[in-house]
Amino acid sequence: MGVLLSVENLVTQFSTSSGLVRAVDGVSWDVLEGETVALVGESGCGKSVSALSIMRLVSEPAGRIVSGRIMFKGRDLLALSAEEMRHVRGREIGMIFQEPMTSLNPVLTIGRQLTEGLEIHLGMTPSAARARATELLSLVGITDGERRLRQYPHQFSGGMRQRMMIAMAVACNPSLVLADEPTTALDVTIQAQILELMQDLSRRLGVAMLIITHNLGVVARYADRVNVMYAGHIIERGTAREIYANPQHPYTYGLLRSVPRLDEPRRERLAPIEGQPPDLTRLPRGCAFMPRCRWRVDRCEAEAPGLRALNGTDHVTACWEAERLVKETRG
Amino acid sequence: MWKYLLKRSLLMIPTLLGVAVVIFFLIRIIPGDVVELRMSGDTGSVSEEILKSERARFGLDKPVWQQFVTWIAGVARLDFGTSMWTGAPIWDEIKLRFALSMQVAVMATLIAVSLAIPLGVIAALKQDSWIDYAVRIFSIAGLATPSFWLGIVFILSLLIIFKWLPPMVYTPFWVDPWQNIQQLIWPALAVGYRYSAVATRMTRSAMLEVLREDYIRTARAKGLWQKLVLWRHALKNAMLPVMTVVGIEFAFLLGGLVVTEQVFNLNGLGLLFVQAVAHRDYTLIQALVMLVAGFTILVNFAMDVMYGWLDPRIRYR
Repeated sequence: MGVLLSVENLVTQFSTSSGLVRAVDGVSWDVLEGETVALVGESGCGKSVSALSIMRLVSEPAGRIVSGRIMFKGRDLLALSAEEMRHVRGREIGMIFQEPMTSLNPVLTIGRQLTEGLEIHLGMTPSAARARATELLSLVGITDGERRLRQYPHQFSGGMRQRMMIAMAVACNPSLVLADEPTTALDVTIQAQILELMQDLSRRLGVAMLIITHNLGVVARYADRVNVMYAGHIIERGTAREIYANPQHPYTYGLLRSVPRLDEPRRERLAPIEGQPPDLTRLPRGCAFMPRCRWRVDRCEAEAPGLRALNGTDHVTACWEAERLVKETRG
Repeated sequence: MWKYLLKRSLLMIPTLLGVAVVIFFLIRIIPGDVVELRMSGDTGSVSEEILKSERARFGLDKPVWQQFVTWIAGVARLDFGTSMWTGAPIWDEIKLRFALSMQVAVMATLIAVSLAIPLGVIAALKQDSWIDYAVRIFSIAGLATPSFWLGIVFILSLLIIFKWLPPMVYTPFWVDPWQNIQQLIWPALAVGYRYSAVATRMTRSAMLEVLREDYIRTARAKGLWQKLVLWRHALKNAMLPVMTVVGIEFAFLLGGLVVTEQVFNLNGLGLLFVQAVAHRDYTLIQALVMLVAGFTILVNFAMDVMYGWLDPRIRYR
């Protein structure tokens, strides 16, 4: 499989009243054709900004992509003109947003919002676009499409709106869909349905998917590969199986330990990660996770670790003490 | 929807009745009446008998409640009686002036809206740029400039720079449209500027709010043209507060242009109002107040219906 999207040394910053926020601080990752990749981390770690940077929808003038390259099908998206970029959005890369309640326009019909992309990108006539829109609705599990197209978002439930978002994202057969916390705002029962739907569509349409989430359960089930982000950096990357079975970064290890598990005997209590996420305007010189880390050594304070492989596989971690962590936690 | 319209139409009756009661009794509290004012005009002293017989002619000698019942019964049949000052039927007094004031109000509204929406949208799009500042200065100046003063400036500059004076005698639109527009465009501009300032500021702030909404980001992520994102996705959402302001201003314009009408030598409703009060012409004042109140209620009603059209989440019951 070829590389579809490759983000190289992306730096995105926001100037705020309290200083420069380095939301994404030199990250590199890629997505292969047809693959599902997860970007995991807690709120404010830069995962959503990464996705918005790919679409070049970071809100200006406060936010700015400072440097890096975003190679998509051999072209650097950051070098495209506004008009060329418009052809990429919606046509080649679809996007699903977190809040289905606020992400659909309340005063336009479902049909209008679903057909406009088809008309603009694929040059469909209004009637052809409507027929295709009905198809798309049934593809995402919304029956009675003819009637639904005439309705407004407020007449849809949360789950249905998210299905509608998915239908909009895949409408023009893109090769990549960015899903920014697609299930966070939904009921737990609906979450699973939506994720199953996304996985199913990804396989059937052969579309690659980037899932941005803080939910490790989502990652375990649906992602092929995982990038763990912390304070604007990728701190661990590997296959979902590897990351779960064999975490090599203290932060990933902490995240996994803080999730209750049903398949293990009940422990006394969960082990939360102590401390707070760092202030992105005042990042330390060394490792950003250091103040909260159980394994920290002097070197962590002086020098930020880069990503490295412990055992020659694709599983990489940004921790000086990864070997010790692995040894201690395997015991 | 039809049930709602019917309900709202019926609700107009008690509202108008309330207006009728208030205005009827309020103007009778003002000292002096039309008979005294008319008679004292020439000689300064009139005999009590003449006053009495004149009052009897207008029915002013009867108990107030009886006068009210007689009047309201007429109003119910859309018969407002005759002017106590001129003796002419009320409708003849109002007719032409209503047409004139209405035309100025409509023209001013058209001018205001066609200025306000593009300016407000551009200012919001280019927030904090020089364009935004220019628009903001333009609209603040509009708020700070009295319309009658702007009217004087218009007339003087036309006269001094172009050696031309707009027609000063009113010609109805259906008689000579060109002559009519030449006269009324100036008051419409003078009033429309202030009006557009209010609407521009509202458009700008509503647009700024809407442009930050998630669904605008969604629209951009779909790769729509910027124009489409603006006109289809943003503007319709931003129009609600703008329409409200426009509606309120429009209703006000009908009877509220007293000084501006004076400046342009227009015989509009505003001037008629002032004269009617000065003459204590009860029947005319009452008719004018009922007219303006009814018009305001109608405009509000139209606005409410428009809300439902702009925002499908609003449902009428």
